[in-house]
Amino acid sequence: MTTALGAGMTGPGAGTGDVVTAEAGTRALLCECAGTMGRNLDFDVLERELAAPAVTVERRAMWCGREAKGRLVELLELGDAAGRLLLVGCSSDFAARRLQGLTDRGLRLESADIREGCSWVHGDAREAVTDKALRIAEAAIRFPARRQRRVAPRPSANRVAVVGGGVAGAQAAVELARMGHPVDLLERRPFIGGRATAIGAVFPTGDCGPCLPATAAQSGVRKCLYRNVALDHPNLRIRRRTTVQSVSGRAGDFTVKVRGLPEMVGDECIDCGLCEEACPVPGPGAQPTAIAGEVYDGRVLRSIDLDTCTFCGACAQVCPVDAIELTPAAELEELHVGAVVIATGCEPAPGHLVTHLGYGRSHVMTQVELAEKLDSWQEQSWQGRAPARHLVMIQCAGSRDQRRLPYCSRLCCMIAIKHAIRLRELFPEMRVTICFQELRTPGARDETWYLAARRAGVEFVRGSPAAVQIDGDGRPLIELEDIGAAELRRLRPDLVVLSTGLVPAEESAAVARLVGAPLDGDGFVAQLDAKNRTTETRADGVFVCGSASGPKTIAECITDAAAAAARVHDYLTSGGRQDVCPASVDAARCVGCGACVEACPFGALGLVDREAATLRPASVRPDAQVAVVDADVCRGCGICAAGCPELAITHALDDETLLSRLRMVAGGVESPVVGFTCAECAAATFNLSGQRRDRYPERVRLIELPCLGRLSALHLVEAARLGASGVFLAGCVEGRCHYQRGDTSAAEQVALARDLVTQMGRVMPIEQWHLCAVDHTGIGHRLQSFCDRVDEAQAGATARLAAAEGARGPASPAGER
Amino acid sequence: MSPVAEQSRAAVQALAERCRPCYQCGRCRSACPQGLDLADGPRAVVRLAIAQDTERLLACADVWRCSECGACTEACPMGVDVSSVLAEVRAMQRVGDGARCPERAGADLAARQLRRRPTLNSLTLGLRMAVRGFLPRGPMTAMSLGARALRAQLRRPARPLASADDLKVFYPGCALRMDREAYAASRALASGSGMRLAEPDDARCCGHPARDPAVAPPLLSGTMLTACPACERTLAAAGTPTVPVWGVLVERARRGEYQLSARSGRFVPYVGCLSDRDATLAVMAEAAELAGAEPLLAHPSLHASCCGALGGAYRGPTRGVIELVRFAAERHAPIVTPCLLCRDNVRLAARHERADVDVHFWPEFFRAAPAAALGASLAAEETA
Repeated sequence: MTTALGAGMTGPGAGTGDVVTAEAGTRALLCECAGTMGRNLDFDVLERELAAPAVTVERRAMWCGREAKGRLVELLELGDAAGRLLLVGCSSDFAARRLQGLTDRGLRLESADIREGCSWVHGDAREAVTDKALRIAEAAIRFPARRQRRVAPRPSANRVAVVGGGVAGAQAAVELARMGHPVDLLERRPFIGGRATAIGAVFPTGDCGPCLPATAAQSGVRKCLYRNVALDHPNLRIRRRTTVQSVSGRAGDFTVKVRGLPEMVGDECIDCGLCEEACPVPGPGAQPTAIAGEVYDGRVLRSIDLDTCTFCGACAQVCPVDAIELTPAAELEELHVGAVVIATGCEPAPGHLVTHLGYGRSHVMTQVELAEKLDSWQEQSWQGRAPARHLVMIQCAGSRDQRRLPYCSRLCCMIAIKHAIRLRELFPEMRVTICFQELRTPGARDETWYLAARRAGVEFVRGSPAAVQIDGDGRPLIELEDIGAAELRRLRPDLVVLSTGLVPAEESAAVARLVGAPLDGDGFVAQLDAKNRTTETRADGVFVCGSASGPKTIAECITDAAAAAARVHDYLTSGGRQDVCPASVDAARCVGCGACVEACPFGALGLVDREAATLRPASVRPDAQVAVVDADVCRGCGICAAGCPELAITHALDDETLLSRLRMVAGGVESPVVGFTCAECAAATFNLSGQRRDRYPERVRLIELPCLGRLSALHLVEAARLGASGVFLAGCVEGRCHYQRGDTSAAEQVALARDLVTQMGRVMPIEQWHLCAVDHTGIGHRLQSFCDRVDEAQAGATARLAAAEGARGPASPAGER
Repeated sequence: MSPVAEQSRAAVQALAERCRPCYQCGRCRSACPQGLDLADGPRAVVRLAIAQDTERLLACADVWRCSECGACTEACPMGVDVSSVLAEVRAMQRVGDGARCPERAGADLAARQLRRRPTLNSLTLGLRMAVRGFLPRGPMTAMSLGARALRAQLRRPARPLASADDLKVFYPGCALRMDREAYAASRALASGSGMRLAEPDDARCCGHPARDPAVAPPLLSGTMLTACPACERTLAAAGTPTVPVWGVLVERARRGEYQLSARSGRFVPYVGCLSDRDATLAVMAEAAELAGAEPLLAHPSLHASCCGALGGAYRGPTRGVIELVRFAAERHAPIVTPCLLCRDNVRLAARHERADVDVHFWPEFFRAAPAAALGASLAAEETA
């Protein structure tokens, strides 16, 4: 995706919205938390020491009590005149919950956590604990992070492009149209409905696939996609035979260039089918002629396949109503949309994955091919004939295999069962065997189908052949271990049906690449989060639904599409992110190396040509490029700042502030242990642990970062310089960083810092922990044991040093140290 | 737990570690050329390994029916090296002096009985084998195995004397000695090349699992020339350096010390499961070039899977061999193999397929003549 980097970028120090500074002074709201901290905190000392020329201290027994809330309302009404409000008491999470009513009304309150992060987790050493609390408060008061009240602009276009007109795409398009968004539904093929129209009856309902849920205003519970009633909406524009050519612009304001092939069969068509009879050209695949009809829009709609059509004009000649116009010119059009939904679906795995199972030989076919044949076999059934005496289905053909498709496609078991039942109904004499490894029919409804298949006389064999051989007579021969009987079984069926898996549709990767959405390891569109954000992609403003993000049943596709539509609606109508202070680049320092562009997980940074007037580093040519931040995309994690070799990127929590806080918090104690925690999972873990009053030594000093990605080796080295005996980093569970790459970025910085610390001749163990809230029960023990490990390492180093000096012998003058 | 089981526990644990991805699909046994003849099969062995059931692993007889063809490893969708798992279980059993190939045990039993009585009492034999825990395809199979073993005893050739400058120590192994024709052809080829072979006194069964796993591999001094890939592998594993005799012969031919000729203009090479495929094919290709013959290389001949031998007994043609035989029949070319076991089994496969294909052991196909005198006389003989 090409992003127009010029617009919306912040130059040095610039930014949309107003920057909040401490000019109006800081108001420290000192909270005694109903006396629960009196055991080890001397609040008189705190009140006295925190007061300073620009700092007003207001001390209360409980700032979240009813009486105090009245005062907070007063402060809220004062607005900026009240100064920067800092609660010196509980953690920000706890304060946010207790004072939610006020924060919803606009109260902006920061927190210096002296409760869960200090008093509640330490013993009775009153003086030491008070000193630590004082330092925590001082750090927050004197070194504030930059804050910015800004709201990312609303996506400028209300329109949505849905790519793919299968069940999921059609459903998403309908939902969005009903929500009031103009929708362009782009379908490559001449017909809407996708795979569902090709496979006949589907489970779990046993009727045809392509129907969509009806709205409250319509009668009945569902509407037929064939008859196009469900898709009849003024907001919806269906573009058939249309492909995406390019996507440009930025999140919320995409320009999608599409190429539409001409319909060629006009509205005059009366569905007589004479053209199909006249066409002399064979069509693509099994299609007999280049012009073919399909049930669509309540009629048999004819369309011409442009790849095979020779433009001979035979069809136009016979057409009694002159509906056919053979104009091969494609039309290019630009769509301006606020969001893109990828609904490109999936397709059966290619045959080369199952050649070892005889695919390509006669008597061997896939389930999809069987589905297409099943309807035509009804005739044989009426005539009392059967296409085979013994039919064997092989499950997981090419799937769950590390060398082929490593994943489970989820649907194949139910498809096989559905087909097996149908075969037994059509041909009661036919022996139908399903060879499976693990049959996956989760949920009561699917299990009922499984039972129905066994009752219908389908034979299930647990086992899987390594190959399907074709013997001298051309008949398949299958040898497989029957796991239930623990013996090798030989089957000689007349027909073998392979349950092949599903792979992403061919065009899926191309569309994803155009919109900048990454793929997962299996080639499906990667979901933003596997648990919570399944219909969003890693690209802002790009959504995914249906089988494009992994094989799904029709029912799941419809649910998924509705979910995606709701997400898109929220994206297009909500005001955008709040309280994010974007990073900015100091052009005077930037050398244009592009490290930040690579590092940013959201693509918020880019390189642009340097304006002539800007300052630049001496080593840089005037025409060198400079990095800029797209403030609307930046999420404030700080990964770019950590990786910048020139320290040219300023984050809300800039290096100076962070280092000052570190010096303040880690000071005043012998061999401190410094812990950097992220503001997400690690903060939650430590808060819960603090509320359980799980104790740990006072020398553990915590610094909260928005994300561990903010941390650079510089900060770790400073900790070593300050005399820290050990450092730990606590972040989210591996691979679950809220900013995607913060943990890996931190790990790189840790590796770098370890080298630097060793070069300094210092011993300072650095550990990186991956925590989530369930780990809160072990925090006290974890910290105590880390302190023990650190002390052991320090003692070991001291002993080695002593031994080395001893080895130097008596020559070294006594009392030198 | 028995002391042996105790000893093997760590090894079983390591084995379980390697087997963990297995989801018991059974494709290993489905692919195994011996699949029909197994009591439990590789899947069950892997299951026992995952369950760390050392006792039952040590008692499992199926591991001895493995010919190390590698079909199971190739079939495994989860990348478990099943073949090496079986090999390790064999090694464990060997340490404990425990189980051995049941078919071989049956043959021994039959041989002993034959020595005592002129006819085999199949009922007694079956009973005894059942007591030992295995009955391969009924007593009839055991009987024929016993008869074969006895015949082999009777046919042991006299050991030739060795005295020459160009003396090499040759380890013929059990199979070659049992086959008079092939043995004679091998020695003729060697002497034709001007090489003299001496054989150590105890050059009998090497102890390969496909032959007699109860025999401990002999410890020999010096490099051994081997004619059998099973011997080559087993001796090398036991610490005796080995060189395939074919390699030496071809090298001498290349140096022009004698001339190599072939029985026909083209042939289909088949390496079998035991030899190192690429090295052996290279030697055979060079021999072909020196003898002016063309090796037909295609999928069936490059395929190095099992020929169908198991525990020394033939169990019907494998898929790979059927393909090989058809390939050779279509091209009217003989099959040439460096493994004597393969030669017999491929011959049986050709008969089974009713295919008109000659199958030769390496020295039966290639001939040696002194560098000067050759060619003309040989060619005359061929045309005659």
